[in-house]
Amino acid sequence: MEGPFWLTAIERANRLLAGLAAAILLGLVAIVFAGVVSRYLFARPILGLNEVVQLTAVALVMLGLPHCTAARGHVTVDVLDNAIGRLGRLAGDILSRIVSLLVLSALVRRAVAKALDAHEFGDVTNMLSLPLWPFYAAIAAGMGLSALVLAAQMIAIVKQGRAL
Amino acid sequence: GELSFANFMPSNHPYVASTFQPFADEVAQLTDGKVTVKLYSGGELGAGPVQQYNRVVDGVADLAVSLPGYTASQFPLTLLSELPGVLKEKTGTEDIYRNLALFGRDYRRVHLVALWSNAENVLFTRDKAVHSPADLKGMKIRVPSRATGLLVEAWGGSPVSMPVTQIYNAMQTGVIDGAMIDGTGVNAFKLNEVSKYITTGMKTTISPFFIIMNRDAYDGLTPAEREAIDKAGHQAALNGLASQLKVAEAGFVSFAATPGKEVIRLTPDQAAAFDKLSAPVTEEVVRKAGGDAQKIVDALKAGQ
Amino acid sequence: MDRRLGIAALFALMILRTPVAFAMLAVGYGGMYLLQGSRAASAVMVTQSYQAVSNYDLIVVPMFVLLGNVASEAGFSRALYDAAFAWVGRFRGGLASSSVLGCAVFSAVSGSSVATAVTIGKVAIPEMKRFGYGDGLSTGAIAAGGTLGFLIPPSTGFVLYAILTQQSVGRLFMAGILPGLLLMGLFMAAVAVIATLNPEAGPRGQHVALRERLILFGRAAPLLAIIGLSIGGIYVGAFTPVEASAIGAGLILLLAVGLRRLDFRGFAAALVETVRTSAMLYMVVIGADVLNPFLAVTHIPDALGQALTAAGLGSYGTLALIVLGYVVLGMFLDSLSMLVVTIPIVFPIIQTLGFDPIWFGVVAVIVVEMGLITPPVGLNVFVVRGVAPEVPMMTIFRGVTPFLIAMILGLLLIIAFPGIATVIPNSMFGR
Ligand code: NA
Ligand code: NA
Repeated sequence: MEGPFWLTAIERANRLLAGLAAAILLGLVAIVFAGVVSRYLFARPILGLNEVVQLTAVALVMLGLPHCTAARGHVTVDVLDNAIGRLGRLAGDILSRIVSLLVLSALVRRAVAKALDAHEFGDVTNMLSLPLWPFYAAIAAGMGLSALVLAAQMIAIVKQGRAL
Repeated sequence: GELSFANFMPSNHPYVASTFQPFADEVAQLTDGKVTVKLYSGGELGAGPVQQYNRVVDGVADLAVSLPGYTASQFPLTLLSELPGVLKEKTGTEDIYRNLALFGRDYRRVHLVALWSNAENVLFTRDKAVHSPADLKGMKIRVPSRATGLLVEAWGGSPVSMPVTQIYNAMQTGVIDGAMIDGTGVNAFKLNEVSKYITTGMKTTISPFFIIMNRDAYDGLTPAEREAIDKAGHQAALNGLASQLKVAEAGFVSFAATPGKEVIRLTPDQAAAFDKLSAPVTEEVVRKAGGDAQKIVDALKAGQ
Repeated sequence: MDRRLGIAALFALMILRTPVAFAMLAVGYGGMYLLQGSRAASAVMVTQSYQAVSNYDLIVVPMFVLLGNVASEAGFSRALYDAAFAWVGRFRGGLASSSVLGCAVFSAVSGSSVATAVTIGKVAIPEMKRFGYGDGLSTGAIAAGGTLGFLIPPSTGFVLYAILTQQSVGRLFMAGILPGLLLMGLFMAAVAVIATLNPEAGPRGQHVALRERLILFGRAAPLLAIIGLSIGGIYVGAFTPVEASAIGAGLILLLAVGLRRLDFRGFAAALVETVRTSAMLYMVVIGADVLNPFLAVTHIPDALGQALTAAGLGSYGTLALIVLGYVVLGMFLDSLSMLVVTIPIVFPIIQTLGFDPIWFGVVAVIVVEMGLITPPVGLNVFVVRGVAPEVPMMTIFRGVTPFLIAMILGLLLIIAFPGIATVIPNSMFGR
């Protein structure tokens, strides 16, 4: 996508976050691997390793989400694509983005509130006392940036006057 | 109006008939049907125990049952009751209710409707009989909470944390050698199939249950209706403990009756060897918690 | 909101090209909004998102996907399918049949159908395409083969059923073996029929000399060894499934880098591709998790139970109605949620009718698994589409149809001959 600076900014942010998610994925493999080695070589399981793994997965998925949305990597049903015609596809591409934007914005607002709440009340994991608010923030960021990507796609669709 | 009650357990769980449905009936009766409680069992309002607290905070459900241990950071005072030697299994709920006000700080985001102590956690082992801490040395034991992890560590075992649903497979394949879980796990999670021994008799952790209510929903009731909820809640707590103890005991009996399986009930001397190692765990956790922790533990113990 | 309106909205959104994850999210949100208000509705989305992405059992998905992507970037998958084609390519649809076999083998360590379809599909679908297989056959075989994940032990479905009905997990696991093999055989038969009726869908290969076949097998050995270690490790109790997925992914990365089969570009591509696929898969799970509470709050299962009691049919008539009910629910609901919500209602009826509870566990697991490949919400079809994005959804749904018929046939056989399910557990544990 070329064009206004904010599009480029979104694009950069997506790539950056996807790169970060990739690094997190490698880290995930490494820590679980290390956990097995530690249990066998040192007879010493790492208590609470599952909490690290679970939270890592949250970061991995949420940071990767905007990139997936930008690459239009989400599963869609195309069964009736021909039947609904050119205008139907155009209307569908716009409508589906409006609906998704409305829903995602509600989700993001709630996730921000949840992150603030978790910060205020000190929500942490049971074993390792890892703070939870950054992970609610990751949900807000991942879903929020995905919403921006959808908005940008919608503008592009309206400008071109045809479906993606 | 109608209050929604989220229950992550299936509708045929013993708790439903013994505790939750009677709670709903009593609320309706005490309020002359002005307030009714509709049960959503089987995780209809969202699966699993872990997020039930959040569901009540956010009003996805008006009421929910869960274990404070799943969101331990929010219930530091309540969870003092879980430590070994603080509550007696039989009288735990009464001791909690005598001191309910002491836990107030934990319930800023939700209203506490019922809180009951559980059947105590016991040690299920795969194929090794455990009579002493020495037997436990180096064994990988699944633990349900941090405090239980510290306890197993003090006994000489290696604690591993994993979700309750994974215990069966992990025990069967030998990824873990045993698990700490309350006696209802014999049937509820089918641990009778993958363990040969249960060791009981030492002081262990007791993981409490509670019913909580959304604050706005509670504040929206009249004073009389609130009183009805709390009264029915107190009864539910007593029913809850009674039900768990009954189910756990039945589990032990059927386990012991199965050929090749044994419930090891430690003698006082054998138990003392474990308890000597457990006492510092309780002291340490209470000391680290600071504040009123010691006072609360003393108060809970006082009734015994 | 009436559930029929919700389901109509779901159809409309999907037809209008809304990604299925967002369509489920929107209908779940909209429905909860009207039933419980805006705060609860948006909270459902956040809670379910957090719960889905922090689900410990799902973590195998990104790691097995990574294994598949690295194997493919480094050419290991190619070597594996070259070998497979040399050995079984002479048979019509041989690669599709071996992929079904691959699903069955993976099912023997994985308790999850989605993980099975993703892991095998990631490797198998591009490779079958390379050998000229039709998209419908290759994707259909994987989407259907994935359902074996639940039937062949270990299985989260059986564990859940056992907990819900107080039956023995061990017995249920044993009961799943023969039906699992039966379905695997029927799937392979379906492949043979498709390839015979339409030879272009599964082209035949040349005869390959034994020496050449052995050489190709040797080239496939590294990937086979890693898969064997990871899968075998779970079997002998060396590690949990999550650990096995990390061991598998870690070893293949080390091997690919060590053998210089992967430059930095390929390495980065495999990682980013995995991130994207994982985000897509998790988003589908989140959507399904948000949709489920809304459908549940509308009490479909209660209505089902009442209808059954009221109908007063004979035992097999009632059973037929139950199976039909599951097929309908399976069009929309996720299989695990479906079990938790319906079994407590259906199971007492089954017991009253005198059916064997272990046998019914097998029947129930097969029918909820059918839901994974029936439209409009077919989780396995979605994830296969996710790993093969160039294949139209219609082609996949059409491709699974013969396999769906095979499942129905298998189900009828198990109903007609209950021994298929009960003979192993009864001979092992007594009646
Ligand atoms: Na399986
Ligand atoms: Na379906």
